[in-house]
Amino acid sequence: MFKVFAFLKRNTELLSHDEYRAGHVGYHCCNSRRLKNIRGYLVNIWANETLKKKMGSTYDSISYNEPEGFLDLWDGFPEVYFDSRHDWISAATPEPNRATKNGLSIDDSWSLADGPFLFDRVKKNSDQFKSNHLRVIEKEIIPVIRPENKITKIIQFFEINDEFKQNNTKKDDIETFINLIKNIEGLHGLTLNFQDHDINSAVKDFYPKDAWCFSEEGKKERQIFFNLWDGATEIYVNKYENFAKGILNLQECNEFKTLQEKLFKSIWYVEVDENLIVLPNREPLPNFYYR
Amino acid sequence: MFKVFGFVTKNNNLTHDEYRAGHVGYHNSFGRRLNNIRGYTLNVRSNQNITKDYKKSSLVKEISFNEPNEFDNQWNGYGQLMFDKFEDYITAKQPALDKAGPNGLELDDMVAKVGDDFEHLYSGSPFQFNVNETIIKPVMRPERKLFKVTQFVKKNEVLSEILFNSYLKGAYSESLSKMDGLQGLIINQRTSLDVMTNFFNPESECFSKAGVQRRERFYENWDIIIEYWFSNSDYFFSSRFNKNLLSFTKKFEEKYLKSSFYREVDETVAVIPKRDIPTDYYFR
Repeated sequence: MFKVFAFLKRNTELLSHDEYRAGHVGYHCCNSRRLKNIRGYLVNIWANETLKKKMGSTYDSISYNEPEGFLDLWDGFPEVYFDSRHDWISAATPEPNRATKNGLSIDDSWSLADGPFLFDRVKKNSDQFKSNHLRVIEKEIIPVIRPENKITKIIQFFEINDEFKQNNTKKDDIETFINLIKNIEGLHGLTLNFQDHDINSAVKDFYPKDAWCFSEEGKKERQIFFNLWDGATEIYVNKYENFAKGILNLQECNEFKTLQEKLFKSIWYVEVDENLIVLPNREPLPNFYYR
Repeated sequence: MFKVFGFVTKNNNLTHDEYRAGHVGYHNSFGRRLNNIRGYTLNVRSNQNITKDYKKSSLVKEISFNEPNEFDNQWNGYGQLMFDKFEDYITAKQPALDKAGPNGLELDDMVAKVGDDFEHLYSGSPFQFNVNETIIKPVMRPERKLFKVTQFVKKNEVLSEILFNSYLKGAYSESLSKMDGLQGLIINQRTSLDVMTNFFNPESECFSKAGVQRRERFYENWDIIIEYWFSNSDYFFSSRFNKNLLSFTKKFEEKYLKSSFYREVDETVAVIPKRDIPTDYYFR
């Protein structure tokens, strides 16, 4: 699937983190869940209590070289799924999905104009906001299965050691490393995502050419953010306690530790609250409107 | 949880597939923002007829009896709303503070009107009722479309409610819960609790004499909806018609049910149901 992460910082002049949650998951998604041909849509917002606080000093034993102030750079990241790049770049094409007196019509009130009030504005009074959209290449290690309760979701960010960055055979080692995470009890899913090397693959043809992301400032800021990490593993667990216990146990596993130190320049974990907007559907698209 | 079903008939201006787009698209986008909502799914009657369109469809006919005539003319889909309590449900349709604007978070009146498309999307009011649910097998949703089947059931009148309940939720459900490929099994019993007063406008069709008659006619032939989620249709046909299971369930159904018939529905998860303690922040 064509999968895009979009790291977004809230408009800090107007909203608290919790207000941003409501604005993003509420009104904003009311519109964006109707993007044409969208096949899956999740909004991950960092949890109000950090893992460092939850785990105490033991957190330092599972992470190293975490970028300082990483959570100041974003409040949430949606992940969207499409069948192809073509579907992604044409997702904003209006399609009829509102019943009116004239039958099914295009919704004239459909708008993403709340963006500059919700997200980090490029400049005061600008109608643009800063977006760190990036295509990711995913590998399902354990297919995600969701129960009818809030699931614990942890994102493992990592930066690969320079010597391995261009070496595809090391991707196998990374998979071996990620596979060891399967030992965590109560897993509901495990997905490995690598950044696409082209930081424009998700924004090219999606945003207009004069958009902030293509400006010198935008390119520079985006590159700095994306340089902080190369991959992100989505870890779904039935409860936090199982994650904490499992990841600490893995620190005692020689293979895990050895691979970790060999492969990664940095590794750290962020708990997010996953809001499900459109349940990802990895099967072929039905021949009717479906979310 | 406090759970409400609403069966709807599409507006005559729309085809069944146009109704889907209007309900799943625009309408659900507002419904999922109802205040304090804890779960919201929409089940649209499938374009596939489970008793005709599958290779083994004839089997479904064998286990169906007393299906009402023209049942499908009375509905195109049904929504399920879940709340922690009745008070949350009855006050859900209020402006929602969930829209970012120039002054911060703003109230959006359109949530109170659930998109204000009722008269164009539906024909008449929804048949809205509360259900008493029993989870036989908790639902687990993978990242693909499941094959969802609903069984409409009416109990045999000679049997007392108490005995029927204990039989239905005993060996009958237990045996069905063991079917291969089953991802979830829930029994929903329609209750008589009034969930329309103070939820719909007093002038709504559901409060008129004709509206009451239309609803009662729809309710006549069933009082329970059993929902089954299967990994795919093959699992349904192979496991539901397993010889041993079939022989056991047939005996039960012949003795204790007045009617029983099946439909396939396409489920949209607008808000994945959450049955645990609510968070102290906006969460869907």
